[in-house]
Amino acid sequence: MAGMATSTRGCCKIRGSGIRELLDNKHTVLFDCDGVIWNGDAAVRGAPEAVSLLKRHGKKVYFVTNNCTRPRATYATKFSRLGFTDVAEEEIFSSAYCSAAYLRDAELQEGGKVFVIGCQGLMEELREAGVPVVVEESDQRAGNIYDYPLDPDVRAVLVGYDDQFTFSKLAKACCYLQNPACLFLATDPDPWHPLRGGRITPGSGSLTAAVETASSRTATVIGKPSCFMFECIASQFGLDPARSLMVGDRLETDILFGAKCGLDTLLTLTGVSTMEEAQEHKDSQDPERKNLVPDYVIDTIADFIEAYKEEEEEQG
Amino acid sequence: MAASKCTRLSGASVKPLLDSLDCVLFDCDGVIWRGDQVVPGAPQVINLLKKHGKRVFFVTNNSSKTRKMYADKMSRMGFDVTQEEVFGTAYCSAAYLKSVCKLEGKVYLIGGDALRQELEAVGIQQTGVGPDAVSGVQSDWANVPLDPEVKAVLVGFDEHFSYMKLNRALQYLTDPGCLFVGTNTDTRLPLEGGKAVPGTGCLLKAVETAAQRQAQTVGKPNHFMFDCVASQFGLDRTRCLMVGDRLDTDIMLGSNCGLKTLLTLTGVSTVADAEAHQKSGSAERQRMVPDYYVESIADFLPALQG
Repeated sequence: MAGMATSTRGCCKIRGSGIRELLDNKHTVLFDCDGVIWNGDAAVRGAPEAVSLLKRHGKKVYFVTNNCTRPRATYATKFSRLGFTDVAEEEIFSSAYCSAAYLRDAELQEGGKVFVIGCQGLMEELREAGVPVVVEESDQRAGNIYDYPLDPDVRAVLVGYDDQFTFSKLAKACCYLQNPACLFLATDPDPWHPLRGGRITPGSGSLTAAVETASSRTATVIGKPSCFMFECIASQFGLDPARSLMVGDRLETDILFGAKCGLDTLLTLTGVSTMEEAQEHKDSQDPERKNLVPDYVIDTIADFIEAYKEEEEEQG
Repeated sequence: MAASKCTRLSGASVKPLLDSLDCVLFDCDGVIWRGDQVVPGAPQVINLLKKHGKRVFFVTNNSSKTRKMYADKMSRMGFDVTQEEVFGTAYCSAAYLKSVCKLEGKVYLIGGDALRQELEAVGIQQTGVGPDAVSGVQSDWANVPLDPEVKAVLVGFDEHFSYMKLNRALQYLTDPGCLFVGTNTDTRLPLEGGKAVPGTGCLLKAVETAAQRQAQTVGKPNHFMFDCVASQFGLDRTRCLMVGDRLDTDIMLGSNCGLKTLLTLTGVSTVADAEAHQKSGSAERQRMVPDYYVESIADFLPALQG
């Protein structure tokens, strides 16, 4: 484990002292949420203790999630409810929060608004950031799919998970995007999201695909694996990628994100991706797949507890 | 084959071309009409072709009308047409599911009433047509009750498209044994006035992305629609002409099926588009180069009336 060449990404299963050595070299740990620290509404066993442990050992800890349905405040409440006692709102970076930050900094023209396909949580983050949003009329009143009112002040379209998605919203987004100066953002690329019991639900990525197809334009994606969320964290808290570790459960989002941002990556097996899938990417000849290979693999982040206990025992 | 392509069909060349044909297939939007406006001279061309003993068929990717609705629209506009001559994707998708897939079971349908009717006409029951909004919480929709008789998901044009429909389609498609069919991949509806209305292709892309599966598409440029016509009427491909306004659907279909192809400039594609494909080194793109082009199908009139 020590001295592992990072040019050949390893897929190395580690525990105990291997984990400790890895963590000792890092100042910052970034965690994905779903499948890493919790699954649905239940914390991964040992996760709250693992997070506290890292903080006690002086690590900076941030949470990076593609979820765009809740404002940070609601997330902080969930952390607390699930037993993570020392997580501050400022440490939580969701694609909703980061999309709002991006638009706030984009310097939309005076009076410029954003047409949003998304849910209440996303709207709230935009309001918090002071980004004006087009207020969506109830579709039934506002014309039909061929003829509907458009707001002349729209300067950007943002697409995120929206359980109230309709054809009308798709048509409006497409019309706004006819103007090449109109920005086109997507909160995240996830085609589906896992729910409890092995079920899945359509994700932001599927809605974005519809809008991209209609407009013949490609969205700028804020969420993982795009590096924007890392830049968002780095702009608020100084971060050294070489001293930062990304911990996630999805190879094509979390691990790829870590690789693209220059971080070491750690796959935990409590979520979506498996060791077999990681190994397949490692064995593949396709150079594009090497960034999907995690440097290290653990069964669960609860293994951090054991790693530090060993150290404490050794020092005792 | 590549000898002379993309040539302007001059007045003198129309009659020899027509003499070499038994059958002409027309796309509708951008060829014989634009929305509700008939292309001037189009009805006369169709009616005269028939008088000259040519078989005439209509092949359209639009899934929002039954063949009867199309025939009625055509009659109103002065075209002398019977519904058996019209092949829209609603009719062809039902035929595909029945005759090719040999579907026994129901269809979960994202689509309009025309699709429902065409499916029923071949004895296939559907579930899902009409408005369908989300209710309850997220865990409710993931556990939405699935009809065990559904064996296929069919996606066509649907102005009632919603997250809930996308969700239901996804739940059915997690079973790899469930068939997945799309009427067509056109990204926009053809409309007068340039307003951009998203087409079936967008809805299909949403479902394909969520389900991480690719649909089998029935519409042009897939050869199925021509097979559908050919299976009902004995056709000699070498004596058939495909007339369309889109290189990527109409002309590509013609090439895929070994037909002669004619681009009309009353719709989407331009001569410049065709020449760009011709100059490219790509074999795939060559299939989008028409044999001939005309300004409008009215250019046939002098030869037909003479």
